[in-house]
Amino acid sequence: MSDHAIETRALSKRFGSKLALNHLDLQVPRGGIHAIVGANGAGKSTLFRILLGFLAPTAGDTCILGRDSQRLTPEDRGRIGFVNEEHTLPGWMTVQAITAAQRRLYRRWSQPLFDEVLGHYHILPEQQIGELSRGERAGFNLALALAQGPELLVLDEPTLGLDVVAKRAFLEALMYSNTSDDCTVIYCSHQMDEIERVADNLIILEQGQLRNMSPPEEFCARVSHWVADIPFKGPDPRTVPGLLQLQRLDGLHHFLVLDQDEGFADFLRASGARSINSMPVGLDRAVNGFLAQNHAAPAAA
Amino acid sequence: MARNQALMIEIATGDPRPISKQIVDGVRMKIATGELQRGMQLPSVRGLAMQLTINPNTVAKAYAELAAEGWLESRQGLGLFVAPPRQRLSRAERDKRFDEAVNRFVHDVIALDVGSDEVLARLDLELQACAPKKTA
Repeated sequence: MSDHAIETRALSKRFGSKLALNHLDLQVPRGGIHAIVGANGAGKSTLFRILLGFLAPTAGDTCILGRDSQRLTPEDRGRIGFVNEEHTLPGWMTVQAITAAQRRLYRRWSQPLFDEVLGHYHILPEQQIGELSRGERAGFNLALALAQGPELLVLDEPTLGLDVVAKRAFLEALMYSNTSDDCTVIYCSHQMDEIERVADNLIILEQGQLRNMSPPEEFCARVSHWVADIPFKGPDPRTVPGLLQLQRLDGLHHFLVLDQDEGFADFLRASGARSINSMPVGLDRAVNGFLAQNHAAPAAA
Repeated sequence: MARNQALMIEIATGDPRPISKQIVDGVRMKIATGELQRGMQLPSVRGLAMQLTINPNTVAKAYAELAAEGWLESRQGLGLFVAPPRQRLSRAERDKRFDEAVNRFVHDVIALDVGSDEVLARLDLELQACAPKKTA
């Protein structure tokens, strides 16, 4: 049995002239909650679709729970739960019909867990999927996925559009339900406050490549914010080591930099800085600055 | 005997301090001020995680750090308790952290252009407020 919940080797996927995944090497260990973040179009959903065997890669290999993604048997699929952002289920089916079908399908089905998770929503068994709100569908999908007792749970922006109570219920079900103890969770989100609370591991994808894999707080520690009073123009941004973001506010230069130690103060001093201050940043700022570096932006005015 | 004690701490997301560090700081403060006393039991990992809506592993990490520093002790099968006071860090480690803390403080305060008398008086006041409350 492979030690990794998912593993990709030199995985590429091309859509026309656009490379959605670019020689991606990713190894996610079993256990824990892993958050994947990336700008829109970083390749997260494409990665999920290839991992689950819905899409064939252009090149490279992927394994999920030690099995080749492109050759998953129904039994393999039974070990994987998937909730996607669209919460797609047939709109004409009723809640109880889908629940009954799932219960028959999965040997490890846990009715108490299903009832517990669904209990947070006012969903009636006879309701059709098409009548449910987005948040209700999200809750229903999560209840289905958790109740099947998966070894691996893949969640693509599961809390998008949920109200605050539903979101909290969702996170509680994810973190504290008994079956989640030996389940690996791969979880894609843009909400940093949520990731800070939930994730053991932070995976950052950018332009189809892996850019970070570490606990969130270790990633935060890589990014620092420096403010310097530099008369005149300041250093050429291209010469600033580890530069993520540069702003000039009220005559002060603000630098958001990656992997810089106290040596950065020497650089600023050599650039003519009179006063220099530095401070750590929170996760939201760190990830934001990191992704903004190569984010698409309109051509500078 | 020791009963499970409520741990009234709050954490904030978006803070530069990681959540586990916020818990460590919060518990140390409670012990230093005497709000948590020797022998009191802390919430379970799962209990505190649910109280704060965070990952249980984060709580476990904070507790492990507190135990390693000697603030908490675990009793087999019973849980975690506030440890008896003792020199919790080695002399060298204590000096190093003290230096760091003073440096940080001086850096922050020097920019404020407050007189040193005022700084010392205020510091004295704050430290007195943190001293363990004497109970009869």
